[in-house]
Amino acid sequence: MSESSIDTIHKEQAYSARVVREVLSSLGARLGLVWIVLMIICAVFAPLISNTHPYLMIVAGEFSSPFLKYLTWIDVALLCSFLGAIIIWFGLKSIEGWKRLLLMVLVSLLMSILSAWSVSSPRAVIYDQYRMGLESGKIQSAYFAPIPYSPTDRSRDNPAPLQPPGAKHLLGTDEDGADVLSRMIHGSRIALGIGLVATFTSLFLGILYGGVMGFYSGWIDILMMRFLEIFESIPSLFLILTVVAFFGRNIYLIMLIIGLTGWPGYARFLRAEFLKLRQQDFVQAAEASGLPLSSILFRHMLPNGIAPLLVLSSFGMASAILVEATLSFLGLGAIDQPSWAAMLNQAVGPGGSIAIWMATFPGIAIFFTLFAYTLIGEALRDAIDPRLQQQPN
Amino acid sequence: MEKRFGPKDFFLFVGLLLVLLSVWLLMFQVDRQWEFIAKVEKQIEEQSKDLSELRRQVLSGRPLNGLNENRGQEANGAWQGFSRLAEIMDQNNYAQGDWIVDAFSVSSPTMTPFVAGDAYAAIIQQLVLDTLATRDPETLEWLPLIATQWSSSTDGLSFTFTIRDGVRFADGEALTAADVEFTYRFLMDSKIAAPRTRAYFNRIESVRASGNKVTFQMNEPYFASFEIIAQMPILAEHVYSEYLESVTKAEVFNSSTNLLFGSGPYRMANANDWLPGQMIELVPNERYWGLLSGTFSKLIFKTITTDTARLTEFKNGDLDVYGARPLEYRDLMDDQAIVERTKNFEYFNPRGGYSYIAWNQLKSGKSTVFADRKVRQAMTYLTDRQRIADEVFLGYAVAANGPFNPLGKQNNKSLPTREYDIEKAKRLLAEAGFLDRDGDGVIESNTGEPFTFELIYPSGSDDYKRMMLLLKDSYVRAGILMEPVPTQWPMVIDALDKKNFDAISLAWTAGFEVDIYQMLHSSQTEPGGDNFMNYKNANFDRLIEQARGEMDEAIRMDHWHRVHEIIWEDQPYTYLMWRKSLVFIDGRFENVKNVRSGINRGGLWRMPLEWYVSAEQQKYNN
Amino acid sequence: MINYIVRRLVLMFPTLIGITLMVFSIMALAPGGVGASLLTRGGDLRPEERAAMEAYINERYGLDKPLPQQYLRWLNNVSPLGFEKVDEGEERFGFKVPDLGMSFAKNRSVTELISEALPITLLLNLLSVPFIYTFSIIMGVYSARYRGSLLDVGLGTTNLALYSLPVIWVGTLFIVFLSSEEYLNWFPTSGLHSLGSNTWTFLPTSSETGFQRGYLLDTFWHLILPLICLSYSSFAFLSKLARTAVLENLQSDYARTARAKGASEASVLWNHVFRNSLLPLITITAGIIPGLLVGSVVVESIFSIDGMGRLVVDSVMVRDREVVLSITLIISILTLISYLIVDICYAIADPRVSYE
Repeated sequence: MSESSIDTIHKEQAYSARVVREVLSSLGARLGLVWIVLMIICAVFAPLISNTHPYLMIVAGEFSSPFLKYLTWIDVALLCSFLGAIIIWFGLKSIEGWKRLLLMVLVSLLMSILSAWSVSSPRAVIYDQYRMGLESGKIQSAYFAPIPYSPTDRSRDNPAPLQPPGAKHLLGTDEDGADVLSRMIHGSRIALGIGLVATFTSLFLGILYGGVMGFYSGWIDILMMRFLEIFESIPSLFLILTVVAFFGRNIYLIMLIIGLTGWPGYARFLRAEFLKLRQQDFVQAAEASGLPLSSILFRHMLPNGIAPLLVLSSFGMASAILVEATLSFLGLGAIDQPSWAAMLNQAVGPGGSIAIWMATFPGIAIFFTLFAYTLIGEALRDAIDPRLQQQPN
Repeated sequence: MEKRFGPKDFFLFVGLLLVLLSVWLLMFQVDRQWEFIAKVEKQIEEQSKDLSELRRQVLSGRPLNGLNENRGQEANGAWQGFSRLAEIMDQNNYAQGDWIVDAFSVSSPTMTPFVAGDAYAAIIQQLVLDTLATRDPETLEWLPLIATQWSSSTDGLSFTFTIRDGVRFADGEALTAADVEFTYRFLMDSKIAAPRTRAYFNRIESVRASGNKVTFQMNEPYFASFEIIAQMPILAEHVYSEYLESVTKAEVFNSSTNLLFGSGPYRMANANDWLPGQMIELVPNERYWGLLSGTFSKLIFKTITTDTARLTEFKNGDLDVYGARPLEYRDLMDDQAIVERTKNFEYFNPRGGYSYIAWNQLKSGKSTVFADRKVRQAMTYLTDRQRIADEVFLGYAVAANGPFNPLGKQNNKSLPTREYDIEKAKRLLAEAGFLDRDGDGVIESNTGEPFTFELIYPSGSDDYKRMMLLLKDSYVRAGILMEPVPTQWPMVIDALDKKNFDAISLAWTAGFEVDIYQMLHSSQTEPGGDNFMNYKNANFDRLIEQARGEMDEAIRMDHWHRVHEIIWEDQPYTYLMWRKSLVFIDGRFENVKNVRSGINRGGLWRMPLEWYVSAEQQKYNN
Repeated sequence: MINYIVRRLVLMFPTLIGITLMVFSIMALAPGGVGASLLTRGGDLRPEERAAMEAYINERYGLDKPLPQQYLRWLNNVSPLGFEKVDEGEERFGFKVPDLGMSFAKNRSVTELISEALPITLLLNLLSVPFIYTFSIIMGVYSARYRGSLLDVGLGTTNLALYSLPVIWVGTLFIVFLSSEEYLNWFPTSGLHSLGSNTWTFLPTSSETGFQRGYLLDTFWHLILPLICLSYSSFAFLSKLARTAVLENLQSDYARTARAKGASEASVLWNHVFRNSLLPLITITAGIIPGLLVGSVVVESIFSIDGMGRLVVDSVMVRDREVVLSITLIISILTLISYLIVDICYAIADPRVSYE
């Protein structure tokens, strides 16, 4: 028994290694991954790159770091998780691949909970005090981040709404006076967040639902299938619109709702896999010899099923971002958060004047993100498609 | 070999599909043309009726009512309402014809009088229906229209109007006092879906017509009674009485969209098949009894709901009138081509509304931080209205100091507008017990509660959003955390009903003389009233009641001034802005003037349309 | 097979009830009643009228009754078999014309609204179907033919890029750059017809007053930009499908036989393979229909076209309950029927599939 399981594990490792190699060999996927890595770096290190609060400030001879003081728990959680993930991935090469991933996820969760519990930053933020302090001499000197603007810093001391790109604001300002580059960098959090939260919610619900359906076939399967069809028949945009319009527009609610409408695809897929597996001889043999069905299914299904799930997720992330963009366009997005689609909305002014910088940069960012996910999804799909393996290249 | 389906067949198939599609569209087109022909036929029929009527009158030898002779004369008070028009017709480049093309940004659900509730339908109705009297655009005095004269009893409880002779509806039937009485009966009938209008007319006890006089009896003195009565649009009994016959017929009326028929200078050209969302066409009423049936051969009101599309149409020259928001206005004024082609107007519309923030004093049964007057005054000091006017409205707005229009008489001019003063605000807050006790930048109350609140405002307006963000950044300097919450309209109404909001920003429409009973009297804190922030002041109540019942204007204004003082002290709202109307009008229109009640266009006010286009400049011809 | 179809049709009813119940519950549970949406629009309230209006509306539309009762009442109105009022308060149980109700916001019957909006959306979407298919098939076939070449990779990447371009961006840029007078005034900005076009002739004419577009051309001219916006994102999926199908068939035995017999590559492609590869595409067609009806939401909003998409968005925003429920019902019926058609097509096309 243990021998065959070792064989299985070796086969799975070889399989997933092969898939990864195939994907990485495709140019499109490589470019996509580069962009996504860039986004992750922006998201994680955003407060370090672009912040109004100076790193270090000297007032009347005393040193203080407003940067550290105003770090929110999300900033801390992201930074710690990222560092933890890097350390685990590159440092603990002895543990096998998927166990490392699991460890990374656990460490991230732990970090998030810790920081949510212990980190508290002052809620009242007055951005102008540093600039005005320097001018009036109250602050002797201060060392700022490379981009000295926070995404919600609207420069009330010197309002400059809708300025084209210039020396002070590298990518211009939006209609409230906030720096566009800063909003773009911090906006990557929302973009990634939407993709991740929505897709994970869909995945989780889908796997749960599909697993239960595949596991208990028979009456339960038929009933749950009906509910699945009901859910699928309502066009998702329509459902999302209804919920957001009726329940208010919190960005987290939007992420969750998008996730809640995406699970049918995953559920169907998992159910199909389960059904396929159950027909197989070795599963029936294992069952006959007393092994619990659940452990068999998970042990054998999961490794094979992950790649197609990844393909679905990749496209799912792209569509989640698109849905959020559409919601913003229809007037239902969150208002102060730096989301790229919301910035796109501000490109065409009411007088018909066009702020080209508001149209290009966020638009390009959305486009690249969608493109990246799509390319990776395509590459993954090509990598796992057995028919393509057999054909001579 | 069986017949294969090749590419040839595919194209054949597609071609067939295209032909079918074209036939379908053609059928639509033919339908439309058929309707057009039917309309033309009907017009010819009506005109021949007119001709035979005219011939009969000429042959009978009676002198015709000289429309051309009594122009501008005050002799029997007959044409006072049209003296301004008479002057225009004397201009040497006066010509009839051409169209005015305007656009609504919202699709009105219906044009049927009384059922329709929005401002756009009101604009159309003002052109098609007549009222008893109308206001002079400059002096704002009441001028006779359908009524030639009126009198009121000494106690101010009854008004008698004398109805003019010779007024005709669009189909030629005469308008009599009976129609006026009928209109009152019609709108008070509970089968008719007019609860809004009924709310205004509830104070009328009875309406009686005898001969050519109509008497309105009120059940209590109310200062705005005359205005309500004088602005009542008059419906034709012979057209509308059938809808009172049964519940089903009343339902037909209530759900109709186009039963608009009156005695006004224009009539709806496409009344029979007009549907909401379509363009509204008004053509002159050929049988109009008044001086000038219509300078313009068509008044067109398109419905363009997308702002970008509306703006593009204006820029392309397809729209003649365009109301702009401040940013748009500034951008358009920078465009040389637009400036040359159009005239632009910036003015304070006396009926324009004011925006405000209402501070809820009783939320879910508990007193809030805003129950303390000092806190409310502090919030007003923290609201930098000058900055809002400059940055959000680009200078095209002025800070509001109360509910009364600064151009009107109710406004107490001796009260200064509070300016932004953060020190005063902090002092007031400290006096009310709010200090930053733990050094986190947020002030707390005596019991340690941090001063944070949510400000609800209707979503959909960029200007509101910018204003809210500006306020958020202003309030935080005094240690107050405000979270702006854009809310959909139904949820706004729900919040007002449940009174579970912290603060809400909205707007009321105003008028020449407004009644603020509904919004601020303490009795209106019950469900059904609009005092949703639970503001109670006994002195204030007394003064309002006095003012409302006072028929003498001078005394009444004095009451209003004292009311204004109390509001200024108590700050139940922080009054925000009076906004200017910013309008572009195509340059070819002559005699476009800014008058005291707005632009002399006959919009929401029953003013005759005083524009014209000289013959060489006319753009559209029928 | 018949058995299967009948079973699917019968199962549609509980599914439909489930769908409408879910949508109804969402709307009912949401904060803010339905009646609220009817009061004066536009943000400026007139104080006296509000209370009177609210009371009136609640009474008229039965909004103060308990929710399950309201749902059952709606269900009864909509089904072709139910209780019907026949003069003077009597009720009769039998077949009746389904009554979709009254739109609160627009004050017109829902049937009217839908019968106006549906043809417009159908026109737009039905025109886009041949447009999409033509381009996708051509691209797919040539990609498969020259597999691995620059054409193949280039087309594939371009399609993916098009799929990633958000419609909201592209549509707005179209309007601004291609429709306004400032840049290129090639296309009209909004709507489906020009002002006064219904007095024009149907076909284009040229007379002494110059060339006149005519109703037909005018409509098509208005439709071009929306059509492009609606279609371009579907190229990726369909052309990929076509490419895969053609590739598969190019490797098949009969194709090899044809080549062995001496037919040219082009002949193999167009005479033999092409028709067989169309099969998966055709079966997909019915499955596209539900997506079309609501997928044009954004396009209709941008170009101010009063179709079903606009109707849906507007109604949801103002919580026009009857319209939302009715449209949900119709879309769901169409969706379920089209899924059924797709399954039937699969069964007919591929004898290996059986539903016993």
